[in-house]
Amino acid sequence: MITRSIALAQSLFVLACLVTPVAAQQDNETLKKDLTAVIALQGQPCGEVVSATVLKQNDYAATCKDGNKYRVYENEKGRVIVEKRQ
Amino acid sequence: MRHDSAAIVLMLLSIGCMHETKPQTQPTPVAAAPETSTTPQGSKAAPATQGKSPASTSEAKAEPAKATPPAKAQPEPAPLAKTQAQPAPPAKAPAQPAPPAKAKAQPAPPAKSPPQATSPAKAPAQPTAPAKQPAAPSTLDLAALEARLKQTKAIGLMTKLSLKNKVDDLLDEFRQHHAGKPMPTVSELRRAYDLLMMKVLSLLQDKDQQLASDILSSRERIWGLLADPKKFADLQAE
Repeated sequence: MITRSIALAQSLFVLACLVTPVAAQQDNETLKKDLTAVIALQGQPCGEVVSATVLKQNDYAATCKDGNKYRVYENEKGRVIVEKRQ
Repeated sequence: MRHDSAAIVLMLLSIGCMHETKPQTQPTPVAAAPETSTTPQGSKAAPATQGKSPASTSEAKAEPAKATPPAKAQPEPAPLAKTQAQPAPPAKAPAQPAPPAKAKAQPAPPAKSPPQATSPAKAPAQPTAPAKQPAAPSTLDLAALEARLKQTKAIGLMTKLSLKNKVDDLLDEFRQHHAGKPMPTVSELRRAYDLLMMKVLSLLQDKDQQLASDILSSRERIWGLLADPKKFADLQAE
């Protein structure tokens, strides 16, 4: 019985390790799409965001498929700003 | 040991199943998307690509609302929509007000008169109508639209914030216009409004088609609220 529960616990641990990255990856994909939409709404060239980094809350660094890099953030007035980075 | 290996095999199997189930959740909306999206887009695209007369577009839009009578004559609704579209222009916008009349013309009773004049030739158009019936677009006012946009999961948080900024900017322009400033003319405001609507619709059409079609059907109603100084003032007072 003990060995069974140990085996179960081990497999649950393995399962958790596998599931967490999948969920994180999905979140990241959602964020990329969100940033892609924001950049497009601001009329900036991008194409598609290929990588996104969270700098802080509502503050992101995005790298586009075409090589452009942007900082997308919400300023103190509540406006979303897309700032080109070099 | 045997139990261990059995448990591990079981878990591996469950992991395998888990990966399969995740994709299933995403595909379903995608699969459903084409069905509903094709109908609204089809009705829109038809006039543009096929180069049909405005009458044909009004038919396409009028049908979904008529819902009840499946067998309707296309020629009948068209003139009705046109006759109602004519009074609309006086409201403000020049040529574009026509679509609003369509949206409002849908619920109108005239729908019942067409069946009398039904011609067999029109029958093929009916199949499209039933497909639109389930999606029966409801009209939204600004508050409802705001609430629905806040609720939808089709748009990310930053996109929602960005859209809100744009809506606020547009409302400021309307405010200036109604204050008597010559700068944003009605046609400029209309262009800005249409562009913003297009942006919103493009964001929603794949993932929240119901909201997209509701917005589409409310488009002219909302424009009416914004363009009318009295209604706009009431709106601001709320």
